[in-house]
Amino acid sequence: MDFFSESLHTALQLIAARDPDVVSAVTVSIVVSLWSTLFASLAGVPAGVAVAVADFPGKRAVVTLLNTLMALPTVVVGLFVYSLVSRQGPLGEFGLLFTPWAMVAGQTLLAIPIVANLTMSAIKGADPRIVPTALTLGAGPLESTRRLVIEMRFGIMAAVIAAFGRVIAEVGVAMMLGGNIRGHTRTMTTAIAMETGKGEFALGLALGLILMAVALIVNMALNTLQQR
Amino acid sequence: MSTCYNLTGIRTTYGPRTVLEIDRLTLHCGRLYILTGANGAGKSTLLSHLALLSTPSAGEIIFGGEPVRWNKGALLRQRREVTLVHQAPYLFTGTVAANVAYGLKLRGVHGDELKRRTEKALSLVGLGGFGHRRSRELSGGEAQRVALARALALETRVLLLDEPLANVDRGTSDLLTSVIAGLPATGTTVVMTTHDPDHADRLGGERIHLVAGELTHPLTGVKLSCSEGDQLCRLSPKPAASFSIA
Repeated sequence: MDFFSESLHTALQLIAARDPDVVSAVTVSIVVSLWSTLFASLAGVPAGVAVAVADFPGKRAVVTLLNTLMALPTVVVGLFVYSLVSRQGPLGEFGLLFTPWAMVAGQTLLAIPIVANLTMSAIKGADPRIVPTALTLGAGPLESTRRLVIEMRFGIMAAVIAAFGRVIAEVGVAMMLGGNIRGHTRTMTTAIAMETGKGEFALGLALGLILMAVALIVNMALNTLQQR
Repeated sequence: MSTCYNLTGIRTTYGPRTVLEIDRLTLHCGRLYILTGANGAGKSTLLSHLALLSTPSAGEIIFGGEPVRWNKGALLRQRREVTLVHQAPYLFTGTVAANVAYGLKLRGVHGDELKRRTEKALSLVGLGGFGHRRSRELSGGEAQRVALARALALETRVLLLDEPLANVDRGTSDLLTSVIAGLPATGTTVVMTTHDPDHADRLGGERIHLVAGELTHPLTGVKLSCSEGDQLCRLSPKPAASFSIA
């Protein structure tokens, strides 16, 4: 148990000393994850609602595809975006590789299926009386859908929180597209992977504890937002 | 007396099951109709058609002299002339006032008039001053009355009520009965379902009785090919062949 108590001690020390490397890794993790969660929500929530509400040929295939994409390996997303933003890629001229924005792009792709799928489930599980009630009170198709989204906002918020949890905890995209550059694209997860590789287990675990604490704080903040 | 609804050749099927089969049904404006029948007789299905919320499998509905074209933009305009109160109504999250104001806002009512009409509708159902309450904190009977107020506030030409008196206490039932009974005098057509013969007697109005999805004379049990307002087509029952056991 010495190992764990030592890690906890190290974690507290790092926090107390506001170690610049740790502060930078925490900041990069949070900022990149928030941006990618925001973009993924802007795309994923409307997509999930549309798939849940609309009837169209091939709907079953789209649902299966969305389910499959939930299991998308981070390194595959990393590879895909890498091929786009690397110097030879179609977006190479913007010099995005090994910047936080490349990480945001990869994590957004990773999170969209999660947001879309969980939003779809929430909407499908909605009370079947919501839409007819809105319609009989004079709502059109758009307004009744808007009402449905408002009524199901807790489920949709849960989808967004799940996506945030996914992106802040992932390491593949951050490593491949960010490059683990100290003070620039080093996140908590890439730092943990690196410290573990160096044999600095206590430091790695300490960063892991900080990551969990950050996730807890962000979720508590989102929950407070949700209950208003 | 103008005609509100004209239904012809209505058939509604859920899979292999036919739940509604009405050859002809005419409802006149400004009258009160009591829709009766056992559970599963097709009452709610008929109300849902009258509310223009669900499409019958076959047949035509003429509402306000205009054939209902499902899937057309005109449907929204026609639908705003009628509103349905579900027997277990859904209230939106938020305040009671926001619920009652919902349909009015969609019709462009705002400001003082919105406030006035919201308060008036709530007072009608005995819930004056309830506007600030959260909809989730209401009892079942209160929620039922809010849903009725939400519909009354719209002052639509037609009001469809599915068991509006089922979940309320005696005092409230008396209050709602008088509110509902007074509506035809203001020009509103009311169709309400009830399983309680007592309500039907107290409210007066014309009976529409359904047995297994078909119009039936409430007393004789004879199937009818049509219902012409108060006449109920007593003189023109379906040809004997159609209901003989054979």
